[in-house]
This record gives sequence, C-alpha cells and structure tokens, in this order.
Amino acid sequence: MKLLRNLLAILREIGDQNAYARYLQAHGVVHSGEQWRRFSDERFRAKYQRAKCC
Amino acid sequence: MSFLKRAGAAVFWVAVACVAAVCLAAIATSRGEQINSIWLVLAAACSYLIGYRFYAKFLAARVMALNDERATPAERLENGHDFVPTNKWIAFGHHFAAIAGPGPLVGPVLAAQFGFLPGTLWIIAGAVFGGAVQDFVILFASMRRDGKTLGQMAREEIGKVGGLVALVTVLLIMIILLAVVALVVVNALAGSPWGVFTIGATMPVALLMGLYLRYWRPGKVLECSAVGFALVIGAVFGGQWVSHSAYAPAFTMTAMGVAIAIIIYGFFASALPVWLLLAPRDYLSTFVKLGVIGMLAIGILAIRPELQMPAFTRFVDGTGPVFAGKIFPFCFITIACGAVSGFHALISSGTTPKMIARESHAVSIGYGSMLLESFVAIMAMIAACVVDPGVYFAVNAPAGIVGTTAQAAVKTISSWGFPVTADQMASLARNVGEVTLFNRTGGAPSLALGMAHIFARGGGGDAVLAFWYHFAIMFEALFILTIVDAGTRVGRFMLQDLLGHAWKPLARTSWMPGVIGTSLVIVAAWGYFLIQGVRDPLGGINSLWPLFGIANQLLAAVALSVATTIILKMHGPKFMWITCAPLAWLVLVTFSAGWQKIFSPLPRVGFLAQAAQLAASASSSQTNALVFNARLDAAVCGTFMILVTVVLVDSLRLWYGILRGTQRAVVIESPFVLSRLEVKEI
Repeated sequence: MKLLRNLLAILREIGDQNAYARYLQAHGVVHSGEQWRRFSDERFRAKYQRAKCC
Repeated sequence: MSFLKRAGAAVFWVAVACVAAVCLAAIATSRGEQINSIWLVLAAACSYLIGYRFYAKFLAARVMALNDERATPAERLENGHDFVPTNKWIAFGHHFAAIAGPGPLVGPVLAAQFGFLPGTLWIIAGAVFGGAVQDFVILFASMRRDGKTLGQMAREEIGKVGGLVALVTVLLIMIILLAVVALVVVNALAGSPWGVFTIGATMPVALLMGLYLRYWRPGKVLECSAVGFALVIGAVFGGQWVSHSAYAPAFTMTAMGVAIAIIIYGFFASALPVWLLLAPRDYLSTFVKLGVIGMLAIGILAIRPELQMPAFTRFVDGTGPVFAGKIFPFCFITIACGAVSGFHALISSGTTPKMIARESHAVSIGYGSMLLESFVAIMAMIAACVVDPGVYFAVNAPAGIVGTTAQAAVKTISSWGFPVTADQMASLARNVGEVTLFNRTGGAPSLALGMAHIFARGGGGDAVLAFWYHFAIMFEALFILTIVDAGTRVGRFMLQDLLGHAWKPLARTSWMPGVIGTSLVIVAAWGYFLIQGVRDPLGGINSLWPLFGIANQLLAAVALSVATTIILKMHGPKFMWITCAPLAWLVLVTFSAGWQKIFSPLPRVGFLAQAAQLAASASSSQTNALVFNARLDAAVCGTFMILVTVVLVDSLRLWYGILRGTQRAVVIESPFVLSRLEVKEI
C-alpha cells in the first residue's frame, strides 16, 4: 500500500500536480482554471529553459 | 547493532558479492554456447548493490561528509516553486525520469555488434565507478552551493574560461544530439505506414491533451495523460488498419520525407506555446517511458530469454557494419548514457539539488538513480541480444555495406558467420507488419524487435508480435520527438542568451522576430546534420553516433574536472583518485576516439580519409556535399576536443598550483545552517 502511495506521489510530482498543490498553498488561493494557467505558464517557462537529458 | 545483526549483514553482503562474482565470471567465460539473460541481470544487480552499499556510502561518509543536520538549499531557500524539500523517493523518481533518455536504450543496442560482453562489462563498471560517482559528486557540490549549475560551478571553481566552455559545449552537443536522435526516428519510420500513422497521430493527441489540460480539466495531468495514453494505443491499432488499407501509400514516406517532416515539426514545436504541444507530450512520454521500462524489467525477469548473440563477435577488430571502429575506444563512446553521461551533470546541477530535503538523500538520488539508468542499459543490451544475430545485422547494417537487395544482404551477413535467409527476414517483416526490415539502421527497430520478442513470449506469441513491435516504436519515437522539440527550445534559449550579449533584443524570449530567428538557426543546425545522416551512404549513424558519444563523454570530462577540483580543495590529494580515475579513462577514450574519427587512414573511420576518398572519386554535386560533410564532421569533432582541452589545461594548472601550495584551495560552500525540518515534513 505504501509502495502504491509512493508510486502515485512520484507520478504526481512528475506530472507537476504536487507543484501545483504547493503553489495553491503558497499563494493562499483555491484551484481554478485561471490559477492553473498562471501556475503552468510560469512552471513551463522555467522547465523548458533547461537542457533535457539524452 | 547487536553482534548477530552485524554477522547476519556480513553474511548477506558476502553472499551478494559472491553472486556478483560468479555471474560476472559466468558471462565473461561463456564461449560458444547460449547464455541466459538472467546471468546478466544478476551480475548487474549484485554489482550495483555492492557499489551502492560500500562505495557510495564511503563517498558519502568519508569524502563528502554528508550531514543531515545541515539545512539543504531546499529548506533554507524554500519558495514553494523550485526550492522545495521533497520526499526522498519522490525526488528519486523525478531525477530518474529526468536523466532517462534514449541514450541508454540505443547505445547498448548499437554496441551489441561487438557481442554482449564488452558493452555489458562497460555498462556495469562504468556506472559504478564513473557515471554514478559523477552524478553523485556534482549533485552534492550543487547542493552545497545553493543549487548552482555546472557552468556556474566550473566558472567559480576552475575559472571564467571553464564556465564559457561548458556553455558552448552544451550547445554544440545539443545540436548533434538532436540530429542523431531524430535520425534514429527517421530510420524507424521510413517506409513504415503503420509507424508513420501512429507517430503522426500522437501530434493531434498532444494538441488535444494541451487543450484538455488548459481549458477543460485544468491541472488534471495524470487524468489527461491516461486519456492521451488510451488514444495513442488506439493510434497503434489504427496504424495497423491503415497499413492494410488503401491509405497505406499516403503514409509510406521516404527517409528524406520523414526527416523533413521532423524538421518542420521541430520548428513549430519550438515556436508554438509550450502548453499546447510540448508540455502535454512531455508528460505523456515520461509516463509511457517509465511504464515501458518497468514492463521490460518484468518481461525479462519473467521470460528469462536466452541470448542469441555471442560474447564477442568478429567485429571487435573494427570492421563492424553498424559503426566502424575497434572495441577500444568505440565501445566506450557508443555507450555513454547507461555508463557515464556528461548530460546527467546538467540535471544533477539543475532541478534536483533544489528538491533534496536531507543531505543523505543525495546517495540514493545521485548514485542510485544512475545505477537504475545503467540497469535500463543492461535491459536494452539483453533486448538487442535476444534477437538472432543474423537478423540483428540485417536490420542494423546499412545498404552501403551489405548491398541494396535482400539476396546480397543475406549473402554478405551469412559470410560473416551469422546465417540469415531472405525468407526468414521476409517472414519476420510480415509478422511485425513491415514491408522490409533490411537496413533499418539506428538501433530503434532492432530494440523494438527485441522488446516485441520478450513481450510476445509473455502471451500471444507471433500473433501479437506486430502490436508489440509498433508499440515499442511508438514508445521510442514518442520520447525521442519530445527531446527534439524540448531540445530545440532549450537550444534556442541558449542561443538567445549568447547572442543577447551582442544585441540585447535578441535575449528577450518574448520578442517574436528573435524567437523565430533563433528557432530557425537551431532547427537549421540540427536539421543539417540530420539530412547529412539521411544522405550518408554508410547510414549516418556511423558518423553521428560516435560524434554524439564523444561530445557527451567530453562533457562528462568537464563535469569530472569540476568534481576533482572540489574534492582537491576539500581534502587535498587524498581522495582525488575517486574522480581523477574515471576522468583519466574518459580523456583517454574520448581523445583516442576523436583522433581516430578525424585522422584514421580508414575511410569508414576517419572523416578526413573519407573526404579524401570521396574527393578522389568522380565529382558531382552529391559527392561534393559528402566531402564537405565529412570535413565538417572532422571540424566539429576537433572543436569538441579543443574546447575540453582548454578546460583540462585550466584545471591541471589549478590543481598543480594547489598541490604546490602556490594557489589557495578555497572551498566555496554556502554557510552551515542547522536543519529544522521534522521527519513528517519530508
């Protein structure tokens, strides 16, 4: 069960869902389409400026 | 610890060491008989366990003196964005997903032309003593320096030249990397309507996912990726239908056609909004990649296939058809990722150090992730070696070497001692839903064959071979194309950053003329090498993969120079050997390979000899282009070597000064702050 929980947590981290939850908490806001778009724009801008591994 | 517990642990580790030794001896001494793949799995797994338990722990305790009481940058600089203390296993998964690319899958497949043994031993030893050490030390160094990048550390620890060289080297490697991985996809899709339809369908699927995630179900990445996965599986079945329908000719493309399509795709993917195409593809391809790697591990353990490839082939002498060059140094640059990969140093000094909650977590994340990547390379080697060697060479040998007809190819390959018939190849092509499997160079088709062979033996047999083959092609192409579009964008940012020093507006990522112009430059650069690879009568992989391997290993040399400098400053010469030994090996390997690729008198190996041979033949515009390309490859290879020589000389000068006492050894670490993180927080 713990293994599955960890696995799901890893998938959520890779899928940026954990980062989004942290963003909502840090900004004291609730989930909405607008908040996701604001978060993802910032996230992707940083993410795709870094080299991707071969 | 009680005496009984210690004795039990000692017995366990002695047993693991014995299993590793027995398995390594078994694979090293097997000749003339088939060997089961489980020997490779056990040899690798037990060696990794020993390396992790003893070598990594030694590095952590004695060399780095990791201290869990010291607050990491994730804790000190926590901002809820990139600096976030993260659970160890989550950070491990994130780091592994970031370092695992096509390299550890394709490299071992190509190196299998030497037999299964050389590549396997290099993958295991290279990872334990080189790759994992590099990743771990750079991760540690970045973690102690507030998450600084490799370039920043090179500049601060070695000198300004080091930092600039690291940046230029990365940009050049990106260009070669993008060309070579795109070539792998081109060779997998050329003449395959099933493959072209499936991969083509992933584009609208990604666009749909982008809209789904942006407007319909914002933030539901896992849900959106599950929908995307279902759709691409549907596309695999759709591809089968298309390949038998009247639409098949419309999806049957030449290698040049596929290459041009990928170049156009690369440009648009780089210039379009990230959320629309790139990000959803990236999520999907990462999840598919991790899932397929897991499936392959389960498949190999469950099926335990026999290896058909011998331990050594006759091609250790350098006459191999997949790529030319002797086992030393070419085996060691062909397998870069999976053993030692300089690119990992960029990830280890990128996002990951900003996520680590406790210093001790760096052992499993830095060292452990590389061992897992190395295990992926072992699985790729197994997948390539379960294929009949005659079939392996028929698939991976270019027409320029074995001939353009099936009869000529099977005759040549059989004369090498690897019997294969035209009927056998035709039947196999039918079983996997392809028109032909001859001359499908690049490694992807033979890896797909090996994976399909393993998966199909799990249930369904030949009836499901075609599905699994195309599923594997879809998996390879999906994440390779994600690297192409993400890499183009990253290359564009790097170029904008560099050019911005000359003219400021070019550095602005929101200025459209700058975005389009620099995207075009990057796409044109890797597109040129891609087209060159497609036109190359020797298949392109023969030139481009060694170039990529040399570049990647040279970046590892830069990373290990930084690591050695840091260790020297921390401890004096006592522990220098830890990073100096792999550095010396890489310098020896890469400079030998680079020298041979430029100056070897054999036209299949040396670029200049190849240019001279072509120049001596009848002159035509095509020949002139090939001559120019060979000379360009020689120049690129020489540039890599000069750049890294600059860093090495700079490092040696500094080390000499520190050892002589004429230079001060200043350790530039962020100050010690006591950690206040509680266990429940991580």
